[in-house]
Amino acid sequence: MSDTIFLILALLALFGAGTMITVSNTVHSALGFIVTILALSGLYALLSASFLFMVQIIVYAGAVIALLLFVIMFLNIQSSHTPKEPNKYLFMLISAIVMLPIDYLLFRAFYTMTDIENFSITSKDFGTVKMLGLELFRNWLLPFEAISLLLLVSLVGAVVMARKKERS
Amino acid sequence: MEVSFMSYILLAIILFSMGIMGVISRKNIFIIYMSLELMLNSINLILVTLSKHFGNMDGQIIAMMVIAIAAAEAAVFLSLIVSLYRLKHSINIDDYNTLKQKGTL
Repeated sequence: MSDTIFLILALLALFGAGTMITVSNTVHSALGFIVTILALSGLYALLSASFLFMVQIIVYAGAVIALLLFVIMFLNIQSSHTPKEPNKYLFMLISAIVMLPIDYLLFRAFYTMTDIENFSITSKDFGTVKMLGLELFRNWLLPFEAISLLLLVSLVGAVVMARKKERS
Repeated sequence: MEVSFMSYILLAIILFSMGIMGVISRKNIFIIYMSLELMLNSINLILVTLSKHFGNMDGQIIAMMVIAIAAAEAAVFLSLIVSLYRLKHSINIDDYNTLKQKGTL
């Protein structure tokens, strides 16, 4: 059962990513990215990370992509404004050829880890909110606070940069 | 039969290289941004997979922090795009050449 679900979700993620990098319309590309995000959140649920499943849907599909679509529509980008890309498939082929050895190296590096003992049978509340919160507030408190500071700084920075310049 | 964790790793590697392909081959700045996010997501998938494989919670915590940083990055990046669009009236990255030295290339 679970490998059928994995296969469906993996094909959906690949389909969304392929749509995203090939389609020329910007809004269609963003919709393809949403498909990838939702498929990845399903994979998190399969990997028993139930809190990350929710966070992925709420933060990515709910906030980041909604903000992106909002900006695309705010700038009112017509299909005549999108840049002409006559040889994008050639560049894709070149970059795929460049990436192949790196991918092979990564795959071999992870393949050696299969010898390590598998701990995948874990306790029932692995990945739930309670376990994650205990871990976060016991061992990861300082990085958590640093990230809250980073979010504040980026909020102020976004407001300052997108503001119209005052004519003086 | 349970899916081996190598299939998750393989999917994440393929998604990462698709992100690289998008960054290299496209000229639309929104699609380049989405390809960057796709690369961050594939790294998250590797982190969560290894967290399950080793029975350790740290991978999920790091994945959550990556999501938070990606949200912060989204706000700054999109406000930069709005400000660039006001300046250049274009989303083609070939038009963003203010820092280019005149007379070369």
